[in-house]
Amino acid sequence: MQTNSVICADALTVCVDDRTLLDNLNFNVGKGEVFALLGGNGAGKSTTLKTFLGLMKASSGSATVLGHNASTQPNQVQKSVAYLPESVTLYGHLSGVENIRYFLSVAGVDKSDDDMFAALRKVALQEDSWNKALSNYSKGMRQKTAIALALLRNAPVLFLDEPTSGLDPAAIDEFNALVSELAAGGATIFMVTHDVYGACQVAHRIVLLSNGKLTGSFERAGDTPIDTEAVHAAFAGRNV
Amino acid sequence: MILNVAKIICAEQWRYWLRTKVAATVLLLGAMLTIAALVVNAFHIDEAAHTRDHLQTEAEQRFEAQPDKHPHRMVHYGHYVFRAPTPLSVIEPGVDTYTGNAIFLEGHRQNSAMFAEQRQSAGLTRFSSLTPSFLALVLAPLFIILIGYGSVSREREAGTLTLLLSQGTTRWQLLLGKLLALITASSLFLLPLLLACLYVAFSNESALVVILFCLSYVVYFLLWATVVTACSAIFEKGSVSFTVLVVIWMSACVLLPRLGSSVATNIAPSIGKLEADFKVEEKLRSLGDGHDVNDPAFKKLKEDLLAKYNVDSVDDLPVNFRGIVAQYSEGRQAKVLNEFAETRMSEELEQAQIARQFGWLSPTVAVRSISTILAGTSLETHHRFLREAETLRLEFVQALNKVHAEKLDYKLDINRNASEEAADKAVVGADNWAILAEFDFKPEAGSTRISNALIYFIQLLLWMGLTALLLQAAVRRLNP
Repeated sequence: MQTNSVICADALTVCVDDRTLLDNLNFNVGKGEVFALLGGNGAGKSTTLKTFLGLMKASSGSATVLGHNASTQPNQVQKSVAYLPESVTLYGHLSGVENIRYFLSVAGVDKSDDDMFAALRKVALQEDSWNKALSNYSKGMRQKTAIALALLRNAPVLFLDEPTSGLDPAAIDEFNALVSELAAGGATIFMVTHDVYGACQVAHRIVLLSNGKLTGSFERAGDTPIDTEAVHAAFAGRNV
Repeated sequence: MILNVAKIICAEQWRYWLRTKVAATVLLLGAMLTIAALVVNAFHIDEAAHTRDHLQTEAEQRFEAQPDKHPHRMVHYGHYVFRAPTPLSVIEPGVDTYTGNAIFLEGHRQNSAMFAEQRQSAGLTRFSSLTPSFLALVLAPLFIILIGYGSVSREREAGTLTLLLSQGTTRWQLLLGKLLALITASSLFLLPLLLACLYVAFSNESALVVILFCLSYVVYFLLWATVVTACSAIFEKGSVSFTVLVVIWMSACVLLPRLGSSVATNIAPSIGKLEADFKVEEKLRSLGDGHDVNDPAFKKLKEDLLAKYNVDSVDDLPVNFRGIVAQYSEGRQAKVLNEFAETRMSEELEQAQIARQFGWLSPTVAVRSISTILAGTSLETHHRFLREAETLRLEFVQALNKVHAEKLDYKLDINRNASEEAADKAVVGADNWAILAEFDFKPEAGSTRISNALIYFIQLLLWMGLTALLLQAAVRRLNP
């Protein structure tokens, strides 16, 4: 385990009933790093995410975030991270602004309306939709609202679950740019995805997960994105 | 901090209810039904109280205003006694709805109470059952289920639960917030009832009784709100939690109370009214006919009396032998009637007590027992009414028989059917009718009612413990 790591899996194993969902995972994610955990359906990506968020407990080993053990100190972990779920699930009966205000208030984060509007502008959510019920939003608009919420949390660590799933290419580009900007600002970003291309574009490091085990790792060399073909071959090879 | 977040979650749940028309409609409908039932019942009880007061006075006045008559005709003219409703019967009419509240008192028989609400209503109109206590005990839980079954499962199904928990919200905070929302929503049904209690507290009722009465309903609503929130958290899908909750409601509010009554009548069976009446008649016949002085049943009485006054014929007695026979016969009949009445009442009480043991299986039964006992509308109170009415009946009938024995000449009496003129002579003055004791029935003292309800408060405490455990299990099982 690296001492300067923000996110650390140390022999992390998660078993539910008789099934081993995660088997002896070991990795570290440093400050300002964009880390992508790539895997197919049922590989264990969501379990990994839930374990780091303190929503599932490690059976052995540990999952730590900013030095807090997610199994034993879930509240400390949750207070210092922002989470962007796969299908952005905010409240349909509330407007974008009301959703953000509500989630910030339960998190105990006090933000002014100006801060909120600035965040919404930063994620480029059309201003005329801010006060409309979320049930009228497209998936991209919901995604932007959730990202604005994550930004307002000022969390040093962001956990993203399939962040580009269902977004159109332009929205994916906007999103990737935003992730890169946040990482450049010092935020640590941990994303789980099965989108090989998107992960290669934005991640500093990609780790492959299959049947709960780590099966490969790719790192970006300088500004050159990770080789999509190589990752795809490894990913597909493991899943065919 | 726990409470702050819980309050925010509670406020959000309220906003959801208000913006969702279905939930808002359920809340509004429930509150309106409770208020309507209270207002209708309050007017009804108030009117009944005044009517009964008026009728009681009128019955007494009419009795005393009777002209000179044969005293035994007054025995059969009879008298009415009325039971005024207790203040808390506005909310809990209890057995009054079925047993009636007025009795016609006359010689030689014990009549049943009459003017029961359920007997007066037409078979198809069940609105008379829609009492505030029925609404609170049976219908309100259904409303709580309707608005609360999805409070947590909705978050899980929509995916917002993960986001909420990932914001640092603890499971306790979340469930507490949802519970707080459901409790405040439930108070919409409870508030009119509590306001009615507050009104009652200023009437002639023990404050402690009113407080405990309210407390039992508050705890009952808390139990349901907790069970609904816990089930919503435990079951993954809203549809499953709704089904489970409806099954719980059916069992607690409908099936178990009915089962309690059925089990009680099977364990402690009692004979039907018709059969009982036949047995009473048979026994009374063996005592002789009090109207016939020559009945062999009164031979010894006659001999003892002749010996006592040292005379050879009843004609020479200083008292009217017919009046003495009437007195003697009435006393013996009353003893038999009371024996049968006590047997019947003890059977009814045993059945009621068996049915109340179902409070260990259903909180609805427990609160219903507390509610009727504290309101003074329980079977025990009704039995006291019957006993007090019987005491009054025997007193006034025997007082008339005494007048018969002492103030009406025996010869005039036995010749009363000879002619119209003879009948006119066989009377006593109307001044003899001032014999009625004042009848002012009061339920048991507050302390007695509280002590009678104690065991059912223990049942309620058990339910509080069980639901607390259920909530704890729900917190443990609450996963996104």
